[in-house]
Amino acid sequence: MLKLAWASLRNRRASAILTILAIAISTLLLLGVERVREQTQANFANTIAGTDLIVGARTGSTQLLLSSVFHIGSLNNTLSWDSYQYLTKLPGVKWHIPMALGDSVAGYPVVATTSDFFSYFRYGDGLSLELAKGTVFSEMNQATLGAEVAARLGLQQGDPLTLAHGSGGISFSDHDQHPFVVSGILNRTGTPVDQAVYIHLEGLGLLHGEFDSEHSADHDHDDHHDHASHAPPVYTLSAVLIGLEARPLALRMQRQINTYKNEPLTAIMPGMALTELWRTLALFEQALLAIAALVVATGLLGMLTTLLASLRERRREMAVLRALGAGPFSIFSLLVSEAMLLTVIGVSTGVLLLFLGLMLGGDLLLTHTGMLLRASPLTSNEWVLLAAILAAALILSLIPAWRAFRNALADGLTIKL
Amino acid sequence: MGTCIAVKHLEFRWPGAPSPLLTIPSLTIARGERVLLRGASGSGKSTLLSLIAGVHQAPAGQLEVLGHDLGRLSQHRRDQLRANEIGYIFQQFNLLPFLNAEENVTLASQFAPARRKRVQNPEQHAQSLLKQLGLAAADTQRLASQLSVGQQQRVAAARALFGAPSLIIADEPTSALDAEHRDEFIQVLFKACAANQTTLLFVTHDQGLAPMFERTIELSDINHARKDDGDA
Ligand SMILES: Nc1ncnc2c1ncn2[C@@H]1O[C@H](COP(=O)(O)OP(=O)(O)OP(=O)(O)O)[C@@H](O)[C@H]1O
Ligand SMILES: [Mg+2]
Repeated sequence: MLKLAWASLRNRRASAILTILAIAISTLLLLGVERVREQTQANFANTIAGTDLIVGARTGSTQLLLSSVFHIGSLNNTLSWDSYQYLTKLPGVKWHIPMALGDSVAGYPVVATTSDFFSYFRYGDGLSLELAKGTVFSEMNQATLGAEVAARLGLQQGDPLTLAHGSGGISFSDHDQHPFVVSGILNRTGTPVDQAVYIHLEGLGLLHGEFDSEHSADHDHDDHHDHASHAPPVYTLSAVLIGLEARPLALRMQRQINTYKNEPLTAIMPGMALTELWRTLALFEQALLAIAALVVATGLLGMLTTLLASLRERRREMAVLRALGAGPFSIFSLLVSEAMLLTVIGVSTGVLLLFLGLMLGGDLLLTHTGMLLRASPLTSNEWVLLAAILAAALILSLIPAWRAFRNALADGLTIKL
Repeated sequence: MGTCIAVKHLEFRWPGAPSPLLTIPSLTIARGERVLLRGASGSGKSTLLSLIAGVHQAPAGQLEVLGHDLGRLSQHRRDQLRANEIGYIFQQFNLLPFLNAEENVTLASQFAPARRKRVQNPEQHAQSLLKQLGLAAADTQRLASQLSVGQQQRVAAARALFGAPSLIIADEPTSALDAEHRDEFIQVLFKACAANQTTLLFVTHDQGLAPMFERTIELSDINHARKDDGDA
């Protein structure tokens, strides 16, 4: 039966190939969208790990998460240096990373922090940041670059860097009297870290005239910390990342920080905030997936149309098969076989195209969009999608099959053309 | 010898037709007989053949083919009987154009397990049948769509004969052929049928063929349905 279906399809090669192509491309699109969706979700969840609380001035939790982790948007309110001191002294705090945002290099956000950032910040399954080249900033005028920033701006170790106030690409107030120097470049992480420039808090303070460099000019850099406790390097911070001795402390501490009397603060647990944010974004991704599913439906409807149209030309073929003893059910299953053959070939071609595309274009995608898509084996979700396509094709094929079944009974052997 | 086809008070009316197309009190065709059925266009010849072939169903108790009362067989059983025991040749367009001559012949066993069992080597059997019917060896591997109408009819006859069915039904198989090819076609068909003791029911509206057959039946003689109702 399959052999016959195959031979008959070969006879209608042109329309068969077009049908297969339509199914292949729509399968490719569906799998592609699913892969991007899965990958972004994974990347998203991997952006930050090990941090128990993020603290900022009173603001929405999404806003705080977006600005502190993704460096998207700006925080209108800041928290004072005193509040930061208060946070560092809370019982149970293991480590803390202060962050001051707001400046940029050619549109890439500048994060002013301490070297603790490189010791304590974790992403993925608890991976720590590693240097590809050079060292972490140690001087006030040094900057450490994310991999993407270095690659896009073509910056090397030792290159000068000019910070701009504000986050825009075109700066209206360049801090060019205080040029920075690239001290090192981080390894690629697939997180927003790749897209940021890291400098010393004191460097930022100096830039903004908040930190008196004369005061410490003849001091060694080693006792910066001592010094900083007397005169703060900056007056205000955007956010503080906090790691705790024990994770269960987070909930209580969150409440404690949120009700801090001296300054209105917001503390969020990054895991929960990420899930919340993902739920909003997922809506968009689901819409994308739905569109891809509709494209697949269009491809399958195209197949339905060609099969139905072919029935008219094939009444002769059907009559011959009937004369040879083919029952209406054989005719029925012949058409179902044809539809399934077309779909299986189409879907396989689509999968093949996907893998081919990922193998050939994966690197290109990574450098241009920062999206990491691997030609990894099909996930269970993807198998479900493929099975759904086949099931939909099977159901749709019942229509021309039923039509052929009815024709076979009515026409018999005599066909009036 | 036995009976191949036995009609007893057959009455058949197409659904929606005002009156019966066929009313045949009696008709018997013995096994191995070669019969010419003649009738005017539209008189119901093809309809009678499709009843005998079991494509459409005669009422119970009125039509027996090879000992089976077709009125009592299910659609599936009738299809099986046709697949295994009846070879059918159309006026033209008998073949699947995308298969070659040999494949078209062996296609006869696709839906017919009994025929398949009767043939040991399908390709060889197909080749010998095609040769018997006068198709050049070189043409057996050509696509059906590349053969002449006369060659196509020979391939169709070979397919009908494939696996030695008991009955061959030919519905005006020569009407697309010229007189010379027509007579030659009928001669080789006769020879092949004789070799297998196959019954042949040959339908035509051509007056000239009668002398070649041992028995000729005029449909108008056996069909008592009112003539003027045929096209109503
Ligand atoms: N499938 C069908 N459904 C309804 N009516 C049919 C069907 N097939 C044939 N008829 C009717 O039966 C009548 C006889 O048709 P049939 O094909 O049996 O004639 P015929 O003797 O074979 O004619 P011809 O020599 O032209 O082939 C016609 O009036 C036709 O309209
Ligand atoms: Mg006819």
